[in-house]
Amino acid sequence: MNGLAKIVAIILVNLMYTLTGLAQLSPGKLVEAHAHLEGLSNCTKCHTLGAKITNKKCLDCHTLLKNRIDQKLGYHASEKVFGKPCIQCHSDHHGRDFEIIRFKKDTFNHDLTGYTLKGAHANTDCGECHKDEHIENPKIREKEYSYLGLNSECLTCHTDYHQNTLASACSDCHGFEAFEPAVNFNHDETDFTLKGKHREVECDDCHEVTTRSGKEFHEFAGVDHNSCADCHTDVHDNKFGQNCQRCHTEESFFKVKGIDQFDHSKTGFELEGKHSFLDCRSCHQNNYTAPIEHSRCSDCHEDYHQGQFAENGTSHDCAECHDVNGFEKTSFSIQEHNKTDFPLEGAHLATPCIACHKTGKKWDFANMGETCIDCHENIHDPYLDQSYYEDEGCESCHSVDMWSTIDFNHSITEFELQGAHREQSCRDCHFEERNGNSMQRFSELNSECTNCHQDIHYGQFEKSGTTDCTRCHAFENWEASRFDHDNTLFPLDGKHEDVACYKCHEEKTIEGNTFTEYKIEEFKCEDCHQ
Amino acid sequence: MSKGTHRAYIFTLSAIVLIILAWLIYTGQDYYQVALKERFYHDDHQQLKPSGVFGHGYGIMGSLALLIGVGSYMARKRWRTLSKVGVLKHWLEFHIFLCTLGPLLILFHTAFKFGGIVAISFWAMVAVFVSGIIGRFIYLQIPRTIQGRELSLNEVKNMKSDLKAILTEKYQLDEETTRFTEEAADNKNKSKVKSLLKGKLPQKDFKNALKLVNHEISLNKRIERLNTMQNLFKYWHVVHLPFALIMLVIMIIHVVVVTILGYRWIF
Repeated sequence: MNGLAKIVAIILVNLMYTLTGLAQLSPGKLVEAHAHLEGLSNCTKCHTLGAKITNKKCLDCHTLLKNRIDQKLGYHASEKVFGKPCIQCHSDHHGRDFEIIRFKKDTFNHDLTGYTLKGAHANTDCGECHKDEHIENPKIREKEYSYLGLNSECLTCHTDYHQNTLASACSDCHGFEAFEPAVNFNHDETDFTLKGKHREVECDDCHEVTTRSGKEFHEFAGVDHNSCADCHTDVHDNKFGQNCQRCHTEESFFKVKGIDQFDHSKTGFELEGKHSFLDCRSCHQNNYTAPIEHSRCSDCHEDYHQGQFAENGTSHDCAECHDVNGFEKTSFSIQEHNKTDFPLEGAHLATPCIACHKTGKKWDFANMGETCIDCHENIHDPYLDQSYYEDEGCESCHSVDMWSTIDFNHSITEFELQGAHREQSCRDCHFEERNGNSMQRFSELNSECTNCHQDIHYGQFEKSGTTDCTRCHAFENWEASRFDHDNTLFPLDGKHEDVACYKCHEEKTIEGNTFTEYKIEEFKCEDCHQ
Repeated sequence: MSKGTHRAYIFTLSAIVLIILAWLIYTGQDYYQVALKERFYHDDHQQLKPSGVFGHGYGIMGSLALLIGVGSYMARKRWRTLSKVGVLKHWLEFHIFLCTLGPLLILFHTAFKFGGIVAISFWAMVAVFVSGIIGRFIYLQIPRTIQGRELSLNEVKNMKSDLKAILTEKYQLDEETTRFTEEAADNKNKSKVKSLLKGKLPQKDFKNALKLVNHEISLNKRIERLNTMQNLFKYWHVVHLPFALIMLVIMIIHVVVVTILGYRWIF
């Protein structure tokens, strides 16, 4: 060997020795989690001779994962991942700080784990669920981080608000969007189907919120519900027994079913008359069973008379005049009326109450007054001089029996009734038809006959503007009984006494008036005789 | 091989290297610029990783190029049966071609990730490559026969032409110019030669005369440092060859190990 060859050999041997000392065949450092596998002697712990990297060697170490895969659980047992080489996703020899698990939280398809993230879960940070306190297996919990170890039971992560009083299948009641409300819960599936108002009441009204084990607790399980009184107070104090449904429905306590069967007499107020036809609500406005005063009618009924019958501030009870058969009828008798300041007499006895007591829209009883004029209209004013009925006292002429029965002493007037006048009705003289109206004539009359009677002589006997009929006629009839032809300027003598009047007193018509001419101006013989 | 054919030969080899380099860069520029710990998650990782279809292929092709490049050249130099085949210079050029292409492919095979024992092979390869370039420079300093055999000092001295006679007779230069030029050539002063000859000869003759004198200067330089270069070349072999051997040994270890572990490329 020449010198050059020696030098070459020495360098080579040294280099080889150095390389053997390094014993470094690894193409790069292993990731931190695999750092304990560094070194030439460890290659085959991961590498299989002739077969690169096999899943078997990976899973020989990663036994927790292997168990999951063997049980066909989790992401690595999913259709997408199962059977793939581990190395396809988890490479190594890329340095200590290499991300051997690159986990993209935003795009990771959690469905592949066998647990689909629904509702609020989809927006929850992974670490909220995947944390040590939720991992049951201590071996997994020991790991610096792992997404293994959770099961799909809600209570793995969520606290059992119901403190083991309900079944653990939370999703039977709760949705994934929020714990409250429990959208999947159907109360009808329980032993107590919600009907009527029960559907509207707040859960808390029946399911009490209490404190258990130092925490707020809603009592859902074990709520007694065999009797209404388990939740509702028996306002009847058991008067009607415990079977509320005999009268009440779930729709409302205020709607009572089978009211016809309800024996109101047990309440101390038997329903009679019109009361028996009333809707319960008419009196029981708030609560059928809430005690209501019923000793006086006015406890329910408004005082129509607005205190007209009050005495010393206290109204008489309606029942003194009315009964339960209706307010229209009254038990207030004539005898009762006669005890008042205005006893009913005469025609008043036959006068309906309405005639006096309902002059307007409402009945009126108080302060009616006691004089006729309080009710009756004074039709004589101003036709009749008030001196004949002082203080408008109708009794001066009329009685309570009949208006037309007049008891008046006509002799106190200037015109005493005599003869046929006594036979006439008052109306004949004191009422006159004018223009179709019956007009009174009292004050306007005086004692002159022509106030009433027509002067059929057309002023032949008028003196000083007045015709005094009584000079010829008496009051019994129109016979000229007081006329004596002898007192005239032409006394009748002889044959004249037998001559019929019309022979001398002829009928004349002047200005359309036809009358017998008694006042003959010229009564010489030739005036009549030829 | 004619000069033109040789040029085409060199051009073709260079073009192959450049085209492959361009293709390697174009194909993997995005992947290779990614940080090592991010590479695994790059889309091209499965193809361009050292054990990928492309990456592994680069390694195998590069290794073969190196083995053929080194082996063929060594065989040509050492096996008597091949001593008459082709010109050694062309073998060297082919050696340089394959041993440039090989490291290049291996460089991309590593995906610029230098670690482990194979990294030593790689750096050994780099050393061999660099030393090859230096060696090529030294090699050129030693005059050789057309077959590539080194010329002895006497053979080199015999190559020297009678400069004085040529300048006087062929280019009709005066005696003084000829003498000064000869002195300048001996002193290896090219600029002075240029100034002496400038203006005293037609343009064409000036160029030829200058080329002749420069060749003479170059020859003088080679003669002067022939011994040094010959010694340097001996020592160069001490570097070039062992690194090549180290590279080869570790490369073989690398190939054997990965093959045992089951990385067999497309086979």
